[in-house]
Amino acid sequence: MSKGVLVDITKCFGCGACTVACKLWNEKKYDEVNKPTLGEKAQLVDINWTVVSKHDVTDTAGQSAWRFAKKQCLHCVDPACASSCLVGALRKTPEGPVIYHPDLCVGCRYCMVACPFNIPKYEWEKSFPKISKCQMCSSRVAAGEQPACIAVCPNQVMQFGDRDALVKEAHQRIAAEPRRYVNHVFGETEVGGTAWIYLSDQPFDRLGYKTSVPKESLPAFTWQILSKLPLILVAWTAMLSGIYFFNKRRHALADGKQDSTGGPQA
Amino acid sequence: MNESSKNDIPVTRRFFLKGLGTAGMVGTLATLSGCKNAGKPSGGEGWTPQQYNAPGSWPVQVRGRVPIDPNNPSIVRDDRKCILCGQCAEACERVQSVEGHYGLPIKDDITCVNCGQCALWCPTGAISERDDIGKVLQVIADTSLHVIVQTAPATRIAIGEEFGMPAGSIVEGKMVAALKQLGFDRVFDTNFSADLTIMEEGTELISRIKAAGAKHAQAEGGHAPTALPQFTSCSPGWVKFCEYFYPDLLENMSTCKSPQQMLGSVAKTYYAKKKGIDPQKIVSVAIMPCTAKKFEASRDEMNSAGKLAGTPAMRDVDFVLTTRELARMIKGKGIDLTKLEPQGYDSLMGEGTGAAVIFAATGGVMEAAVRSGYFLLTGQNPPQTLYNLSAVRGLQGVKEAALEVPGVGEVRIAVAHGLANGRQLLDQIRADKQAGRPPRYHFVEFMACPGGCISGGGQPKTSVPPSDWVRQERMKSIYTIDAKLTNKRLSHENKEVMDLYADYLGKPNGEMAHKLLHTTYIDRSVHLTAKTKA
Repeated sequence: MSKGVLVDITKCFGCGACTVACKLWNEKKYDEVNKPTLGEKAQLVDINWTVVSKHDVTDTAGQSAWRFAKKQCLHCVDPACASSCLVGALRKTPEGPVIYHPDLCVGCRYCMVACPFNIPKYEWEKSFPKISKCQMCSSRVAAGEQPACIAVCPNQVMQFGDRDALVKEAHQRIAAEPRRYVNHVFGETEVGGTAWIYLSDQPFDRLGYKTSVPKESLPAFTWQILSKLPLILVAWTAMLSGIYFFNKRRHALADGKQDSTGGPQA
Repeated sequence: MNESSKNDIPVTRRFFLKGLGTAGMVGTLATLSGCKNAGKPSGGEGWTPQQYNAPGSWPVQVRGRVPIDPNNPSIVRDDRKCILCGQCAEACERVQSVEGHYGLPIKDDITCVNCGQCALWCPTGAISERDDIGKVLQVIADTSLHVIVQTAPATRIAIGEEFGMPAGSIVEGKMVAALKQLGFDRVFDTNFSADLTIMEEGTELISRIKAAGAKHAQAEGGHAPTALPQFTSCSPGWVKFCEYFYPDLLENMSTCKSPQQMLGSVAKTYYAKKKGIDPQKIVSVAIMPCTAKKFEASRDEMNSAGKLAGTPAMRDVDFVLTTRELARMIKGKGIDLTKLEPQGYDSLMGEGTGAAVIFAATGGVMEAAVRSGYFLLTGQNPPQTLYNLSAVRGLQGVKEAALEVPGVGEVRIAVAHGLANGRQLLDQIRADKQAGRPPRYHFVEFMACPGGCISGGGQPKTSVPPSDWVRQERMKSIYTIDAKLTNKRLSHENKEVMDLYADYLGKPNGEMAHKLLHTTYIDRSVHLTAKTKA
């Protein structure tokens, strides 16, 4: 069963424990001055696999309010990064995480272009840079443990489990408290679905989530064209060869020579 | 191809194609063998505390940490030191009943009473006070400024611990000497304004009790609040807690400022006038056992002296340093506190009585108020039993007592320290009020921190988490100073305070006193969804 995570934005009070857990577990450096993990300026960068960004919003009662949005790789069900990778450095595991193998990476950065959510980051400051992104604690998940960020959350903002069950759970929560949540489970259908899905009382674009993405899986979308490539290639070759032979024969005939292929006489 | 040209082998078509084919085969094989062994995926080289590493998704009991607003004036956190042990959250939720006592989603505030207990509990020092040492050193270095400093009652029995002395060592004189050596122009004692607080708060209490007796809310003083019980207002963490969670009881809060703020506003008016110093040139620094005092000094309304002088931008207290910060400052200058010759506080605002020093311990404000309240009501000094009001001393979470005061009858008092303990009293008082029952107490002392200021969020981390043993040692010293080391034990006998009234303020709760020594409160309940008892 493919695992997923249900994030309830309304429960987050912005302590940032998840970002610290990520740094501890993945031994990532801190640069709170230039690359903060928490607050208005929080941004996913090479050393920040997860951040909690702060947003000033208007709550359901019409009052100004703060919301904290946890960001990390969404671990698409059908990841575009993995399909774009020439060398198979990015792969979707059966358990759910989309993981990155630095030993295979050739550094082409196609994944960065392919990702609809702008998740893979490049280690621009290194001499031999690699791609960098959330691994959904793949080794923990493989051992049956929940990702580090989820384990440490004081408010249990995140719930780890089978994705299908979590999608159902998300809809149940909306049905139970329709006033608390917007009627949208972000990640349920976006780009064909993501392992991380979200509930919120705010429209997701106001919290910095990219909602203007297609509903279809991107690899499936490009496959509509890519799948025809062999046929196009064969047809194109055949056509060019045909033109070549046609012209060759025409020139030969113009020069008054007998056609060696034994074709019909002009 | 370079190879071939070097060795002068003629490049034939066959040779070229063979080379191309071989290179292709080698490349394909290498790629295929590499792909088969993809290597280790990135991430997972580090660690998290053991409790987080177990199969399943069971919730860990003590987990995560408290949220801290980056703009919090009192405390800051260095993420690099945080190990997610969960101790701060434990202190905040169980000891102070703040975290977890408001609903989610949050509103436009990270609920924090600035008490700093999380900093005391934090085993790695990730959470600490907002460091203002640099700013204070800067104003000391500016010779055009007159920098005064006040020291809270609880600092004198704790700062020695930072220099290797036993818990509760009394180092009042040494601390004063250190402050003078650091370059402060005048060293004053918050004990002075603690005595002043007792005069104001005691007078306020008596007028509330009288108003309740007369059943005429508007009878005396016009705007003076009349609700009983009266709550003490010295602990800024407690005040903010009440503003957040019990705004309906703010009318019970004494309108008196805390001693820190009283000294601040008196310094930039009375002291400035007496000494002929431009108040704008006075920089007022406070050494406090408390992180919430930083917040208190930054509250908008804490500019009474400025308002009076028509310069509202001027703060009554400019900088607040915790006891720990002062210790770091002294160490930074290479001063050995333990070897200093004790010195005395400077005059005008340097005298303090035993009643003032016990402000540092839970029950102390109550005891001091009872001693002087007795005098204010009867015109006589209290009987000997009121000099050792054991019912309100000690570390029991909630303490109660009833005293017989001639001419008034029974006065019922209660004391709570640690905000979770405070809730017990507050819920009762709220229920009484809602049911229209007569108030069960006349006067209640609340201190945000367990043990009172002696174990405040800015005190030395002599045990982590803070222990009752250290609290007991510090309390013993506080009561030793009161009983043995001061010759006056009654606030109304403080001569400098009496001079202040005679020369400047007029009478307690008078017009000038109201302008300088009293304050207002804010209903902060709009910034959170307080959880009601389940």
